[in-house]
Amino acid sequence: MLTYDIVIVGAGGGGLYAALETSRCKGLRVAVLTKVYPTRSHTGAAQGGINAALGNVAPDSPEKHAYDTVKGSDFLADQDAVELMCEMAPKVIREMEHMGLPFSRLSDGRIAQRPFGGASFPRTCYAADKTGHVMLQTLYEQCIRFGVEFLNEWFALSLVHNGERIAGLTAVNLRTGSIVGIRARAVILATGGHARIYWKRTSNALGNTGDGPAMALRAGVPLKDMEFVQFHPTGLRRTGILVTEGARGEGGYLINAKGERFMERYAPEKMELAPRDLVSRAIETEIMEGRGFEDEEGNKFVYLDLRHLGRKKILERLPQIRELAIDFEGVDPIEEPIPVRPTAHYSMGGIDTDKFGRTSIKGLYAVGECGCVSVHGANRLGGNSLLDIVVFGKIAGKDAVESIEGLDFVSFPESKVKDEGERIKALFNSDGSEKLSQLRNELSDVMSEGVGIFRSEEGIRRALNKVREIKERAKKLKVYDTELTFNTNLQQTLEFLNMIEVAETIALGALERKESRGAHSRTDYPKRDDEKFLKHSIIRKGDDGELRVSWKPVVITKFPPEERKY
Amino acid sequence: MERREVTFRIKRFNPKKDVRPYYQEYKLTVPRGMTILEALQFIKDEIDPTLAFRAFCRSAICGSCAIKVNGFPKLACKTQVFTELDKFKTSLLTLEPLDNMEVIRDLIVDWDGAFERMKELKPYLIPDPKVVPDTLDEETRVYPEELKKYDKFTDCILCTSCYSICTATQIDEGYGGPFQLARLYRFAVDKRDGLKEERAKIGYAYDMWNCVRCEKCADVCPKHVGPVDAIMRLRGISIDIGLKDNPGARHVLAFYKSLMESGLLNEVLLPLRAKGIKGVLENLPVGIKMILKGKAHSPIMKPISEHESLIKLMKAAMEVE
Repeated sequence: MLTYDIVIVGAGGGGLYAALETSRCKGLRVAVLTKVYPTRSHTGAAQGGINAALGNVAPDSPEKHAYDTVKGSDFLADQDAVELMCEMAPKVIREMEHMGLPFSRLSDGRIAQRPFGGASFPRTCYAADKTGHVMLQTLYEQCIRFGVEFLNEWFALSLVHNGERIAGLTAVNLRTGSIVGIRARAVILATGGHARIYWKRTSNALGNTGDGPAMALRAGVPLKDMEFVQFHPTGLRRTGILVTEGARGEGGYLINAKGERFMERYAPEKMELAPRDLVSRAIETEIMEGRGFEDEEGNKFVYLDLRHLGRKKILERLPQIRELAIDFEGVDPIEEPIPVRPTAHYSMGGIDTDKFGRTSIKGLYAVGECGCVSVHGANRLGGNSLLDIVVFGKIAGKDAVESIEGLDFVSFPESKVKDEGERIKALFNSDGSEKLSQLRNELSDVMSEGVGIFRSEEGIRRALNKVREIKERAKKLKVYDTELTFNTNLQQTLEFLNMIEVAETIALGALERKESRGAHSRTDYPKRDDEKFLKHSIIRKGDDGELRVSWKPVVITKFPPEERKY
Repeated sequence: MERREVTFRIKRFNPKKDVRPYYQEYKLTVPRGMTILEALQFIKDEIDPTLAFRAFCRSAICGSCAIKVNGFPKLACKTQVFTELDKFKTSLLTLEPLDNMEVIRDLIVDWDGAFERMKELKPYLIPDPKVVPDTLDEETRVYPEELKKYDKFTDCILCTSCYSICTATQIDEGYGGPFQLARLYRFAVDKRDGLKEERAKIGYAYDMWNCVRCEKCADVCPKHVGPVDAIMRLRGISIDIGLKDNPGARHVLAFYKSLMESGLLNEVLLPLRAKGIKGVLENLPVGIKMILKGKAHSPIMKPISEHESLIKLMKAAMEVE
């Protein structure tokens, strides 16, 4: 058994910021546990930027930022949390700047800002098209500077609590294969998103499998707004790999097979810079109505055209995008348009927390994409996810340090470690009549069809039943690799089991929310229904293993709900 | 859709179990567009679940999946199978773990040594209170041309490809390492950093003069960072701050002096200037042979005809730097 005061699970922007915050308090034993090496975390793949009302390019204010965020969320975000985030934004940006983050600059030396979807001003601070990468590197560098302890390549298995307070967690050291109990007075989950559930068409890293929400669910901790999954408008045709919104922010066009800039029909004012839910639906509609392209493999797509930006701007502002397009699509955006289609990208829903990142279990926190504060509501604006992780990572880190003062450890039954060992042993001993890759693809298909960009009662029901069927069949999955050292067969199987658990909550939430709001678009209920559904869905697993849905009011402060037009 | 039969010959090793590494062959039909990583995942999913490799972002930004493909470090995720087949005119690709690090299992190597070395080099900004504002109400002013000095070196994704083929790393345990030294340089030229030029001393202590400029690190870098450029510039800084009393710096200065004097390399004086009497003694046998074969020139050299223009050119180049 290991013992720490605070354990942070996940080493992306949220986890690292929380770690830095805790490192200010000397004498605390803190560890960051991550299933990868810290700088591999998916924060690094964020390209376009991070929002803050610095007003460096055009006059701006945190209040305007908050309004855009709330409107973008289709009024489902909790406004007190949004205001807090937007208020803190300029300060955390400068704090990271002071840590050495290499932001792109204006000619007068201040931090540059670019336009992004759904924002009224150029508000997105950036470092070319590698903002998340340099953020992750900078935060990790500072963690080295302040001596943060890391448990690299450890995989978290379960949360342990006494119904009231957190006791710690169990995890497997991937390098040695040993299953270990870790006692902690506070645990901060920062495990990232779960869009990998849409396995065949997602911008996410292979490991974005919802480990945090799945562990929380199993531990009886409620999840919130799980039905909201963001499809990013511009994933590469074949792989779903992300092409940043910054490409449209810099002036890129979306073009259909008739050569039209079709966004004219959907968002005449904002055009390509409408929010993501709207642009994704527009692209899918164009494709469904026969105005898309189709290649010989049957991939359907539209074009993202950057050619008119010119060579210089592309090389300077979007160099990595150019390289991705060349490496993965064989297309040089300087010469040719990029074939794109919406790709499962971001999980607005997650572990239910308040604005300090606290969950229903004292001492258990969740920050970033695995959590749901909620600041993104039904649709997240581009540039707000990097902001979310650093702001709430910082807040939760600080709150955790303060909250454990004077608190003792809660008893951690040794049997919990044994239970996980048994769970894993069962996977080695199963009959293996089902196959991991087969089930993963089926889950991906059923989720894309039933709970993808467009949804309906019938489709969602089918998806939910199918997910439950896959969950049953998954009991017959077998781990064939019997070695202890780096058993990636075991890891991928455990990740899949997490995904099914989370997938079920997405489908259930989607079924219960009989309206269209943000990324949740129901063809049978095409309108937003504030009377019935201006509230958060809460899903909890009972002791009997059944999922139960309840609702929680939305916090409204300054911005009364209105029709959302762009 | 074009498809090809491809044999993947993969180096397998589990030090906990196997006496020595061995190669295992997997044959599969590969469609155009498939990456090495997709092929590896296909093998794991459909043929052999025990194959161990690392992968995460699959879009060339996380640095997890660097392996050797037919002998060269590559990110598996951004390397197309067909491209490699065409390059090597083959239907067989050999996949192996990166060199210079111990194998944990199959294609997974132990990064710890490389990263621990990086940590020793203070790879983080220590803010200079004279430059970085002490309030969060202000940002540091950094002009685009100041950013340009180090921007390229912030692209490093720590994939360790450069480290795995670095000649100096292979022979010198005290060597800082390519990506590690590049990160050191990145901070040395960041106006916000409190150590700044002092960082050249760290590079000096970590044998940066032992880089032999083979440039392999630049060749294999998937992000075009080119650590060797950073190392050369860090050496420049070390000379500027007076760390001249070592063979490397004296060698460079001897070249410089020679060019300023005559525009030609004075090979006779070079050993003396670089290493003193010791250098002369070391090079004596070669020197005598050169004299006997009539290859040695006089230590006193006449300047070349366009010498003044050359000096102008060199000064202009130095100003640009």
